[in-house]
Amino acid sequence: MTSLAGQGEYAGIRRCAAGAARILIVVAVGLYLTACAQTKAFVQSKDFERPSETVRVLLMPPDVELYELTTAGMLEPKADWTESAKTNVAYAFESILQERQANLLFYDSAAGKLAFDDAHLQAIKLHSAVGNSILLHKYLPQMALPTKKETFDWTLGEAATALRDTYDADYALFIHFRESFSSAGRATLIIVGALLGVGVRGGSQVGFASLVDLRSGDIVWFNRLASGTGDLRKADLARGASEKLLTEFPL
Amino acid sequence: MKPARVSFVRRAKKATVFAAFCLFVAGCATAPLQDLKPGERPALETDEAGFWMVTDRIEAKLSTSGRIVKDPKINAYVRGIICRLTPEHCANIRLYVVRTPNFNASMMPNGAMQVWTGAILRSRNEAQLAYVIGHELSHYLRRHTIQQWRDARAKTDALAFFQLATALAGVPVVGMVVQIATMAGHFGFTRDQERESDRLGFEMMVQAGYDPREAAKVWEALLEEKDASDEPKKLIFFSTHPASEEREKTLAKMAEELGDNGGLVGKDKLAAVTSIYRGKWLRDELRHRDYPRLEVVIKQQIESWGQQGTLHYFQGELYRLRGEEEDAAKAVAAYQEALSTNDPPAQTHRALGLVYWSMDRPAEARAAFENYLLADPAADDRPMIESYIQQIKGGVS
Repeated sequence: MTSLAGQGEYAGIRRCAAGAARILIVVAVGLYLTACAQTKAFVQSKDFERPSETVRVLLMPPDVELYELTTAGMLEPKADWTESAKTNVAYAFESILQERQANLLFYDSAAGKLAFDDAHLQAIKLHSAVGNSILLHKYLPQMALPTKKETFDWTLGEAATALRDTYDADYALFIHFRESFSSAGRATLIIVGALLGVGVRGGSQVGFASLVDLRSGDIVWFNRLASGTGDLRKADLARGASEKLLTEFPL
Repeated sequence: MKPARVSFVRRAKKATVFAAFCLFVAGCATAPLQDLKPGERPALETDEAGFWMVTDRIEAKLSTSGRIVKDPKINAYVRGIICRLTPEHCANIRLYVVRTPNFNASMMPNGAMQVWTGAILRSRNEAQLAYVIGHELSHYLRRHTIQQWRDARAKTDALAFFQLATALAGVPVVGMVVQIATMAGHFGFTRDQERESDRLGFEMMVQAGYDPREAAKVWEALLEEKDASDEPKKLIFFSTHPASEEREKTLAKMAEELGDNGGLVGKDKLAAVTSIYRGKWLRDELRHRDYPRLEVVIKQQIESWGQQGTLHYFQGELYRLRGEEEDAAKAVAAYQEALSTNDPPAQTHRALGLVYWSMDRPAEARAAFENYLLADPAADDRPMIESYIQQIKGGVS
């Protein structure tokens, strides 16, 4: 983003910095368990039981972004990679859930838009904020919140009702993926670094999925995937990552 | 054997550093870019498309922000300026007037423009606002975001290997010095972009028939404000933007070369749309608690718009909230100035009452509170003010 005045007017820069910090957090979460793909799920209540067959699940458009890791470790967003990854992830989730006999509905946003309704967009924005908070405070032990250490009681509250009203759905499933790949320069640096005994970070894959009860807004199930490998641009690997993310999925 | 090996290692180290340095210098050159054509969207496989993708997402989130000013009149007015400056691109620009009490505006590479209410508040006429908008449009048309990214990527790519090489050669301090130089080099690059946008924005406003002399006045006013501000000054070496002094001088010189073109200043045109918001936006500015700066802003507002009740009321608020020595007396003077105009806000009486009360002048405080209830009989805080009056009557202070 380019702006008019620099000195003293840092809001734009601060926003960028906040964005970068968020990416760093996601990366940190990813690094926490890098060796192979790892998942760790939370449920709101251990007593949660699979409801009757008539339960309707609204599948939200996956929030996916792919990046290239530059030689120096900056992230360059990649539109074409993201497009194919999004298609692959959406298809993978749809087919996995259909194989499990879920009663699926699809959130249908206009091309290039996050939502067709402002109230829906607020729910999506809130979910992304809550999801990132869960990643930060439930998956990084040093960031655990004293009041939420033993419980899992996150909610979107009333914001979720807009989705229920439009789709008459019982639950919404949100999916989020961020993936990065080393550029040629980065790969070279990793090899040169390895020869010299210096560890240089490569690409990573971080994803999370959450199931929201649209009556209460509560997040009843949440899972996170962190991996040092993977490639959502490839349909079979996207399917594999999606399956892992749906481990212990209660519906 | 031994000396020969050492010299070989030394030569190898030297060669590595030299090779890395060549790579570093080569990496700094970036190819020039064509201006964006009307309606053009970068091809999906380009790096530029990646930034459009990310800013599309940011824009979608921004579009439902509670800070967006929805008033159709203001939006139509600012959009009108955009279209006057660039009729061929105006359909591809999305405007967001954002309620933020600071002088700024910004442009995303995908055509989403943010204009902060603080910039509209500080614009003394349409020509000044047109310069600000022209500057932002130039960032978009010249595709500055992607140029900036390519510059940063090229410079840091080369730097990464260079640092590894210097570390390997046992001289990491060289890598650190070059890193600082690289950062400064990148900030220099963005400052050049700002200079380019200042020039192009100026040309656009002249082309659209605005008075060129107004552009420099934007910086002149901002300089006065910054000089007064409590905020620490930044080092120019690591600034993303050139110094305001330089920008003011350059624009003033360009305007001088053109002379008076009989262009539009548009003071009344701007006031007709924005004056009803002045109080609200000054209230926002007050929240910074940067009193010396706000003092200058209000002084400039009075110079522009004359003796207005709202302006003097906020002048009083500034002194009342700051509460330093003699501020109570200054606040009283400002409130009285406001009350001598023909449009004082009703709250002026209440504020005056509070200051008098704090100065231990209960009779005047009580009179002011009573005047407040006369001026605004349906005030939300009527019961509270009535209780103040009772307390004063009962001799409690």
